[in-house]
Amino acid sequence: MAESFKENQLELASSSQSLPLLSALNAQGLTAFSAAAVPDRKTEAWKYTSLTHLTATTYAPAPQAALNGQLQQAASIDGLNAARLVFVNGFLNTELSDALALEQVTLFSQADAAQQTLISEKLGTVVAQASGSSHLFNDLNNACTRDGVLVHVGKNQQLQQPLQISWLTSSGDSAFAVNSRLLLVLETGAAATLVEQYDSDDAAQVSFTNALTEIVIGDNARLQHYRLQLMQEEALHIGSTHVDLARDSQYRAFHLALGSRLTRNDVVINHNTGGSHSELNGVYIPQNQQLVDFHTCIEHKVPHCTSDEVFRGIMNDKAKAVFNGRIHIHPQAQKTLAELSNKNLLLTNSAEINTKPELEIYADDVKCAHGATVAQLEEKGLFYLQSRGISKKEAEVMMSFGFINELLDALPDEAITLLLRPVLARRFGRDQSLARHLLDETLAGEPA
Amino acid sequence: MSSNAEIERRIGKEYQAGFFTNIESDTIAPGLNEDVVRFISAKKGEPEWLTEWRLKAFRAWQEMTEPDWAHVSYPQPDFQALSYYSAPKSMENKPKSLDEVDPELLATYEKLGIPLHEQMALAGVAVDAVFDSVSVATTFREKLAEAGVIFMPISEAVHEHPELVKKYLGTVVPQRDNFYAALNSAVFSDGSFVYIPKGVRCPMELSTYFRINEAKTGQFERTLIVADEGSHVSYLEGCTAPMRDENQLHAAVVELVALDNAEIKYSTVQNWYPGDEEGKGGIYNFVTKRAVAHTNAKVSWTQVETGSAVTWKYPSCILKGDNAIGEFYSVALTNNYQQADTGTKMIHLGKNTRSTIISKGISAGKSQNAYRGLVRMNPNAEGARNYTQCDSLLIGDQCGAHTFPYIESKHPSAVIEHEATTSTVSDDQLFLCRQRGIDTEKAVSMIVNGFCKEVFKELPMEFAVEAGKLLEVSLEGSVG
Repeated sequence: MAESFKENQLELASSSQSLPLLSALNAQGLTAFSAAAVPDRKTEAWKYTSLTHLTATTYAPAPQAALNGQLQQAASIDGLNAARLVFVNGFLNTELSDALALEQVTLFSQADAAQQTLISEKLGTVVAQASGSSHLFNDLNNACTRDGVLVHVGKNQQLQQPLQISWLTSSGDSAFAVNSRLLLVLETGAAATLVEQYDSDDAAQVSFTNALTEIVIGDNARLQHYRLQLMQEEALHIGSTHVDLARDSQYRAFHLALGSRLTRNDVVINHNTGGSHSELNGVYIPQNQQLVDFHTCIEHKVPHCTSDEVFRGIMNDKAKAVFNGRIHIHPQAQKTLAELSNKNLLLTNSAEINTKPELEIYADDVKCAHGATVAQLEEKGLFYLQSRGISKKEAEVMMSFGFINELLDALPDEAITLLLRPVLARRFGRDQSLARHLLDETLAGEPA
Repeated sequence: MSSNAEIERRIGKEYQAGFFTNIESDTIAPGLNEDVVRFISAKKGEPEWLTEWRLKAFRAWQEMTEPDWAHVSYPQPDFQALSYYSAPKSMENKPKSLDEVDPELLATYEKLGIPLHEQMALAGVAVDAVFDSVSVATTFREKLAEAGVIFMPISEAVHEHPELVKKYLGTVVPQRDNFYAALNSAVFSDGSFVYIPKGVRCPMELSTYFRINEAKTGQFERTLIVADEGSHVSYLEGCTAPMRDENQLHAAVVELVALDNAEIKYSTVQNWYPGDEEGKGGIYNFVTKRAVAHTNAKVSWTQVETGSAVTWKYPSCILKGDNAIGEFYSVALTNNYQQADTGTKMIHLGKNTRSTIISKGISAGKSQNAYRGLVRMNPNAEGARNYTQCDSLLIGDQCGAHTFPYIESKHPSAVIEHEATTSTVSDDQLFLCRQRGIDTEKAVSMIVNGFCKEVFKELPMEFAVEAGKLLEVSLEGSVG
């Protein structure tokens, strides 16, 4: 099965022409992908995540898709005054994209000479830094990338509006694969907010998204990054985010995984120069048969960097989640402060969580800590709410929501909080009425 | 408290158990094949079933490959270059009592501070002394027999209590469990067997002392402890070896069975030769230790690991019965070029099972120290509870401390908490001590002892004192 999957992907990779700019990367990816084995349950990084379903399907190239109401709805985030760029099945949709966004970004295929130099200098270098934690799907993305998005924020330039990039998928005649690629370069002193959104309409066709985002943050630059994965439950999603941090730079991120039957997210943050700071937060809430797998790795390669990571997960129905949070402190990285916390709630007897917070430390003058918990909703809290006349079901919804609300409330862009709160409340409530307290509160909390 | 002279003396101290006893030994030629397995079995006069049991393990071992997932690196031992059986010649005709034991052997244990003469023995500790491949003496056997407790070398137990050995051997760690357990099952030479009958509280501490003496040999001991319903036993284990430039292999298997309402407390002070400052020599310590706890039973592992060049050891608890309790307290110290990958597994099968893991890792010099643990809540582990704390202390900027906890839960009412921290002996702490007239070396030793206190308090008293001293010696030269 693994072999036929590889053949299928290789066929897709060779079915279209490379851009001259990308031909080296494509060739390199192709070689690496052909040589690599498809991971199975014996591969440590895929121990709990079965790829059987993904590799059993034969994929066609992504078809062009017409716009529909659902897609339009998905791409709009109320109250977020963003410059918006929309892709459907990997193709840029100019109708839904803003003129402003089109100014700020460049497709690889339309890059001018200077941008081409930048792309060939940076593209593929950030993901290549993660020798230990890069995987087959990164190679596949390298092999299959025919175009991509370059966001280049110049020196001391601050993007006034958030940049929203929506990667949407819509139905095709058969299962199809999309490889998407984003390169974001912030020059010295630049600042930006990036909202990456993965969504789809309800079409039941299997789509396999393999997304790779590389982020280069220059000296003193700052990035606020949201990565929201809200795809429908038949979709398959493999995503990697690789970040390169320079002196005194900051990366703050919020990752949300709600959709897809299979989600595998890798986040690798490289602290490459002193004084850099990263904050990585995330929430995963799989339900039904979903599987969510987060592998994060914070590489502290130099002294005087700090990192903070908080992930919360709630598993419902027969869902399964995997969290692997690694902190790697290299021998020179003295005076590092690194923390990680992972808390999980299991709601049913058939749900499952496998978590592994890892510390690998080769420097002595550091302070590192990690913590992980697994539990169910607290009896006392449920009792308290019930004693106030709230039904048990409703109390459960409120408490589950409270478990992650802390992270939602801390988001610096209120529009994102307001977008996600009802989405999540409905997720727990299912039946809308159960979430009514939460939604009322949301409305009340909204500025008039 | 202690004068400079005391510290001088301590600094001068090296690995104290590193001497070699010049005693005539009966050692078979290096190499491993079915004949060697048969030879060992014949040497021990074992019954047919056990020979077959060993051969089955040997055949399984041949098909297995050495595990490489641990965070350690070492040249693979050449299993054909080792000798699998070595016994002091004087043990050929089994001595009937201590008076008949070769005085040279007794002197060896005397030198190690292990009293075999019963009249001199510390009150309440019965000792089984294992020298290379055989047990040389077991003290207080009569006194224990009065209480119905069986405490004897496993090679004798095979003859005297075959029904018990046959019933329990390999039930906790099967022959093909892992590479080293399979090797051990094929060639194990001796070890201790303990059986505590129903409702008996063992009247004294039981202890086994392992000593590797001969060069180019491996030690493969096997310990089996069965605590019948409602019984209680506390067992201690200690180990040392001579200083040699070559690496020697030690692959042991320990099986504990705690039946309903029984309690087993197993303490280890592992002080195998760790190799010299250049990382030359030392023991490869690849050990499989596992316990099964039935309903309401309790198993507690306490270990102080200061020795061995490479350690690969995960004392585990399978909490099979409802309300069973598993505990793991560990201090692992590595210095110079030592490498340790150690931790525990708590497998919760029964309802309301509870486990506690306290692991303290200390790395100094150029050593690597990893905690690797698994906490698994199976779908039936309703109301199960785990608390894990693993802290690491780094001394020096060239060592490493790592934590790899695997946490798997399939039951919503199971509660798991895991915490880990890594830090160094801070300048503030040192400054405070020095300001009060305590020199650096002593201050570090105090801080380290404080760091390990939670584990030391679980050890039997004599061992706790010994363990504290052992840490001081092992840390020498790592500060300033």
